[in-house]
Amino acid sequence: MPSGIALVIWIVGMGAGVCFVTCSVIRTSFLRYFFLNLYIILSLFSDLLRQFVLRFYGLESAQYTYAYYYTDCLLTVALFVAVISLASRIFAELNMTRHVRLVAVLLLLGTVGFSYAVVAQSAHRLVTVFAFELSQNLYFVGLVLTYLLWGAILKLQESRTRVVQMVLSLGLYFSAYAGSFALANLAPKYVIVQYLGPILGCFLPISWALTIMRHSEDSRLTTARLVAVPR
Amino acid sequence: MSRKLGALALALGILVGAMELKTLVTAHGKTAVIMDNGVSPVPVKLPPAN
Repeated sequence: MPSGIALVIWIVGMGAGVCFVTCSVIRTSFLRYFFLNLYIILSLFSDLLRQFVLRFYGLESAQYTYAYYYTDCLLTVALFVAVISLASRIFAELNMTRHVRLVAVLLLLGTVGFSYAVVAQSAHRLVTVFAFELSQNLYFVGLVLTYLLWGAILKLQESRTRVVQMVLSLGLYFSAYAGSFALANLAPKYVIVQYLGPILGCFLPISWALTIMRHSEDSRLTTARLVAVPR
Repeated sequence: MSRKLGALALALGILVGAMELKTLVTAHGKTAVIMDNGVSPVPVKLPPAN
């Protein structure tokens, strides 16, 4: 059974997800940011499924472990597609949308192939470990992709507030996981470490919901505010 | 043609960079790096073998 803190985090995260999708629909941005919304909707359904399995079988059951890692793999692929959709928007003005899609397909196929090559050596583990390995590898691909995207935003002097803030949120999200991984290795005994993952899971829907609520599609940031070093 | 080759090179570069980063990070850690999408509690063990 989940503890009180875990339940509070779960409710906050679900609320933030629902808030983001609702705000997108109300502000007529649902289709414009369709893949971001799709990721959040899949995340909501996954969390409902996980909660259902958790209550039935418990945290230490194989059923919950399977449900968690398979939905996690699905969500990581959805997040990868969301990052690519943001890249398409940024490079659309350069007429490079087709090439962005080509890079995305090559990256996805490459990551799937690499993950398969890693787990193929032990055929009996293929079904169970492949999803976990793919999720892990796509996380690192997403991390590198997001930082490249941030570099492109600076280089192309992208000024659309929503796009800039959504890419920044993704960068913080990926980086925070790297930080939580470091903390989990440094201080595995502390209870807070086990709540770090779910807490970070709330970050993306909250930040995206705030972006959609506070800024319209026409909002612009001046590039001087993006660059830390004055020229 | 050159743009397609550029796209292929970029994809390979990103993939190699990401896997290098993963190797670098996991080599110094005791646990696996888990993405933890969503807000549910993380399972206590890795996926069991069949």
